[in-house]
Amino acid sequence: MTLHSLIETYYDSQTGDFAKSSEFQRLESGRLNVIEIDEFIHNLCRSHLKSPQILAFLYAIAPPAAADAVQHNLLEEMGLDEAGIRHPDLLYQLMQAAGFSPQQQDAVTAAAQAQVRSLCTDPLMFGTIKELGLSVLLEVTCFEWMLARLSSRMGQALQTHRGIPTDGLAWFSHHSEVDIRHAEEGIEAVVHYVNDYDIEADELATILDITFRENVFIRRYFGGPALVLTAPEWEAVS
Amino acid sequence: MRIVAATVFALQIPFVEAFAHSIRNRAYSDAIIVRVVAADGTVGYGEAIARPYVTGETVDSCLDFMVNTLWPAVQQQDYSLPPADALTGVDWLNQVALTLPTDMAGSGQLDPSVVAWHAARTGWELALVDCLLKSAGRSLGEILPPQRAIVTYSGVITASGVERAVKVAKRFQQFGLSHLKVKVTGQDDRGRIAAIRDAVGAEPLIRLDGNGAYTVESAIATCQALAPYAIASAEQLIPRGDPAALAQVQAATSIPQIVDESLITLADAQALINAKACQGFNLRLSKCGGLAQTLEIARLADEANIFVQVGCQVGETAVLSAAGRHLAAGLPQVKFVEGSYGKLLLSQDISRTPVQFGYRGHAPMLTRPGLGVDVQDEAIAAYARQTLRLEATSRVHCQSTPRVAH
Repeated sequence: MTLHSLIETYYDSQTGDFAKSSEFQRLESGRLNVIEIDEFIHNLCRSHLKSPQILAFLYAIAPPAAADAVQHNLLEEMGLDEAGIRHPDLLYQLMQAAGFSPQQQDAVTAAAQAQVRSLCTDPLMFGTIKELGLSVLLEVTCFEWMLARLSSRMGQALQTHRGIPTDGLAWFSHHSEVDIRHAEEGIEAVVHYVNDYDIEADELATILDITFRENVFIRRYFGGPALVLTAPEWEAVS
Repeated sequence: MRIVAATVFALQIPFVEAFAHSIRNRAYSDAIIVRVVAADGTVGYGEAIARPYVTGETVDSCLDFMVNTLWPAVQQQDYSLPPADALTGVDWLNQVALTLPTDMAGSGQLDPSVVAWHAARTGWELALVDCLLKSAGRSLGEILPPQRAIVTYSGVITASGVERAVKVAKRFQQFGLSHLKVKVTGQDDRGRIAAIRDAVGAEPLIRLDGNGAYTVESAIATCQALAPYAIASAEQLIPRGDPAALAQVQAATSIPQIVDESLITLADAQALINAKACQGFNLRLSKCGGLAQTLEIARLADEANIFVQVGCQVGETAVLSAAGRHLAAGLPQVKFVEGSYGKLLLSQDISRTPVQFGYRGHAPMLTRPGLGVDVQDEAIAAYARQTLRLEATSRVHCQSTPRVAH
């Protein structure tokens, strides 16, 4: 098996498992209630609002052969490419269309920032940035792989079951288009990274296992209650 | 200082992966968090993990004991703030612990199925200690001065097939862990241990944990069969019971035996020492009844030249992990340490700043006031499946959270 097809196998498996998961099925079939759908929107926006920072990190450590593609991806995310669409703006558009108040949108922004903070304050489990960078690159490019295949279905579900108009779903339609290219480039970037940093097959297998020990999409989109939507209630009555 | 309000939360935090040993297979944490508020407004947090097969406490019985026995006792106290020096600090810990009843005798209720209400008492003791230390602006580290700058944690490989065990062992190797504990069940132990040793090489220390799955004879046979794989210790191979049986296992093998479920009370500790039942004690706060009592057991161990492993409860959050960190740093004779798995096991922890260990299993001291954990009330609220608000009159408001965490 080539390195390219090994990575593809993992991405296919993660994406397939997500599509078959009860969480995704419930979203698509309209069996999530409004609160649960809003938690999904919250979690999705929280996950992707920090994409520019994550891509900037990946650009900083990208091997020469992958640097151009990662840089283009980063500029695209920030709206500095020829299309000029800031992807975080599309997420705010989504939240607005879902009726999130300015305070709720601020809370999602803060939650995304808190995740960036966590990335910096959580103890590093790897010995060097080489391993950490590979793990982050694998997760990011796996997301692109999945979004190229499932983002339009997610957008459709939000339109059908949450009544979000097409304008509010631009993030999904945009990603279903651009991530088809990103998905292929992503796997190539991983191959370049593995080769450039001399990562051995056994080490790659272990980092793949660590990164994908759970379904990253379920974890990021459905992995628990959205904390900022869950205010502690006991203080007022105790 | 009086405690004017308290809330007890039964949490349900999903695990990233299921955790299995010979007795149970767990998919989520069922930690109980105690949140107390002192008269000056200071908030403290404690944690309990109820295990029916360890202390006999279930989550329900633990909550009941916490609310109906411990809370009324806490309300009657006017607690003194901690002293500045370590010497009298341990006395202060004992005084706090002594305010917590050990049984339901006062209310005329007895529960023969419970060995000791240690989880319940630990939850309250830690909450009180955290609160009172914070109120005084002091860290638990001032009462338990660290004997080492860094605590080194072990990775635990749960009961599973050979392939999965090897995968997990390789993960831990990637994380630089040098201490591994492997859950053994009596089924293909040799195959699993051989495969793990082969995967990680000769360097990491490998320990066994049987959770009482063996008879005396099979325990001895297992130790003999696995000795060629350089086993650093074997924990609780046979069930809790007669210390003489443990002594029989220890006498028959050169592998140091550690007791866990056999060691719950001070009386257990003394009986195990008298019987020469083992070479190591596994001290777990929620099992041994909190800081004060665990320190007393550790003192007995030290006098008897028994080494100590500071263990943990599967599913503990940052609160118990932090208390365990202070204990592991403060005891002189610690050989192995477990816990502080944080988001390696929990899908979400309840502290803002992680207590989890990092590369090589290393974790620093916690120096902030109290236990040193900045608990997020939002996280507790999000994962609470039951919330018990306790008022000064002992009335309880029970709020079951309809949403079960994903």
